Amino acid sequence: MTTAVSRPPLVRGSDRVIAGVCSGLARHLGWPLRLVRIGMVVAALAGGAGVAFYAWLWIMVPTADESAKRDSRRPASPIAPAVSAPFAASTAGTYGPGPYAGSPSESPTPCAAAAAGTAAPEAAAAPAGSVPAGAWRNRVTGMRYGKEILLGAGLLLAAGILIARLLGVDVPLGTLIPVAAILGGAAIAWMQLDETRRAGLVDKTKADQAGGWARLAAGLALVVAGVLVMVSGSGSWEQTWLALLSSVAVLGGVALVLLPWGLKFWRDLETERAGRVRATERAEIAAHLHDSVLQTLALIQRRAGNESDVVRLARAQERELRGWLYRDPGKESGQLSEGIKAAAAEVEDTLGHAVEVVTVGDCPMSERHEALVQAAREAMLNAARHGGGAVSVYLEVTDGWAEVFVKDRGPGFDPDAVPADRLGVRESVIGRMNRHGGTATISSSPDGTEVRLRLPLSAAPAGAGNSNGEVRL
Amino acid sequence: MSSTEAGSPAPGIRVVIVDDHAIFRSGLKADLDPDIIVAGEAGTVEGAVAVIAAVRPDVVLLDVHLPGGLGGGGREVLAGSAPLLGSTRFLALSVSDAAEDVVSVIRAGARGYVTKTISGAQISDAVRRVAGGDAVFSPRLAGFVLDAFGTAPADIADDELDRLSARELEVMRLIARGYSYKEVAKELFISIKTVETHVSAVLRKLQLSSRHELTRWAAERRLL
Repeated sequence: MTTAVSRPPLVRGSDRVIAGVCSGLARHLGWPLRLVRIGMVVAALAGGAGVAFYAWLWIMVPTADESAKRDSRRPASPIAPAVSAPFAASTAGTYGPGPYAGSPSESPTPCAAAAAGTAAPEAAAAPAGSVPAGAWRNRVTGMRYGKEILLGAGLLLAAGILIARLLGVDVPLGTLIPVAAILGGAAIAWMQLDETRRAGLVDKTKADQAGGWARLAAGLALVVAGVLVMVSGSGSWEQTWLALLSSVAVLGGVALVLLPWGLKFWRDLETERAGRVRATERAEIAAHLHDSVLQTLALIQRRAGNESDVVRLARAQERELRGWLYRDPGKESGQLSEGIKAAAAEVEDTLGHAVEVVTVGDCPMSERHEALVQAAREAMLNAARHGGGAVSVYLEVTDGWAEVFVKDRGPGFDPDAVPADRLGVRESVIGRMNRHGGTATISSSPDGTEVRLRLPLSAAPAGAGNSNGEVRL
Repeated sequence: MSSTEAGSPAPGIRVVIVDDHAIFRSGLKADLDPDIIVAGEAGTVEGAVAVIAAVRPDVVLLDVHLPGGLGGGGREVLAGSAPLLGSTRFLALSVSDAAEDVVSVIRAGARGYVTKTISGAQISDAVRRVAGGDAVFSPRLAGFVLDAFGTAPADIADDELDRLSARELEVMRLIARGYSYKEVAKELFISIKTVETHVSAVLRKLQLSSRHELTRWAAERRLL
């Protein structure tokens, strides 16, 4: 349809008066929206051509939501084979989001992918769901576009008749009003169809549904009334009633035949969609586990002899998996707690020593907090290197302070006995904290050593007199 | 599932291990000190409720995530064993340190919460403590408590269940910093018994406090 390379895809916009056709068209063509709207109105006045054109675009052009949904669905089956193809996992995720380009180019892709899924025996994750998915989609796309083209042609025909009537003899109002009623009713009903399609993404509430049904009924009533008036204009009432009765009977019969078929079709669609969602989720999890856990397990098997390596690998993997399982994607990054945890992870990785972090409260990271994290990292390194047992790190952020405690269970040391040329404690921990207006306290006993770092949140020169006698160094 | 009654009423502490991983159960059994007798094991919610009712152990080591039942895991076992809560004590054991899991299982009646990575000696210690009627707080659980109740000490006007006293806050802070009960007692110049009293008081508040923030906090804060 509209596959201009450099243009944004033609989709109906959310900024809409009736169905968003004009705004979508304006964005696609790069014309001002107002111009497009005025042009459309002018075209509509010129014998209804604009109306027909608008209706045609309305039917043929998807909304932005629908287009996005269609694109996002496409990786569904391609990911599944990625489970069996080791390193395709990362590329499979980016597969797909091309511009909306009509049906012919779209349908073969999932089919081929589905076929690949069945070909690879390991891809047991999804083949059951993806094979019918491809076939089904193929059938539906063919059908749907046939129907829409038919509708478009019908509308064009109607517009043509309208033009002929306007150009020819002046048409009596008695014919125009029912026609307008029919068109209006149809438009209302179609808008409703549009709504339900969009609402299908989100679970709609009962109230919405009721309103939707009311609109559908109103549109239907308008159309029926229009048809009735038109028909009754040409014949007697008795004939009209007869015609109405027979058409209702025919419609009822058709509905009776089609209803179970439609229901079944709908149910199939629902199960198929649910199955595909499950398959996608499963493929995503499988891809992640493959990249992380399975790789680590393989490494552990190869290094089984080296205990510290195994512990280190296991800890690192545990951390990664925890992060993936429990991390709240809505939570903003760049928090102080994140910084402390990252420092602890780094120490764990380099020294293979467990570092347990507990945080209470949080605040965004600033430049001074960076110093706090660096000092804490140095303290953790010392604790892991010299202390025995697990290292405990506790971060507490209150309104006025950020405090970090780093505790180990080593044999302890005498801070006074640290040689002056050892920069670790003196410079990296105490000096750094003092320079940024904080304090560092070290207390050591045979049960272990604890380093306490305290930093006021505001940059007040609290540390000018530094160490307020507490620093025993 | 299998309940191997360990015979005569021994002086040791009788425990039931509830965990769906057989490897973990056998590993834990081997790790526990000899004075702790494993009187039964279970791997599902239904199995656990049945074994606990039959064995009536002193302590149940309860995994938070369990198959079976209505999907409630450890919480469901606690609910199913509610009549026994007076005599049998529950120590929750999990690889998860999500706040929601920890707080919900404590509020369902568990007397403590430890992560599965701690050593056998530490677990044995925790079992003895729980059997003695005390609460077992890991640093992480103490962190959760501080986060949920806030770090400001209680006003006199406040409902006492909704706030921690200044002393309880001190104890919680030290536990969060990695102090053992003994170290806490030494640091605050109080007896270990007093530390245990404070911790039990905090546990009671955690279980009984009706303040809505607590539940909301746990639900919002999905990770540590």
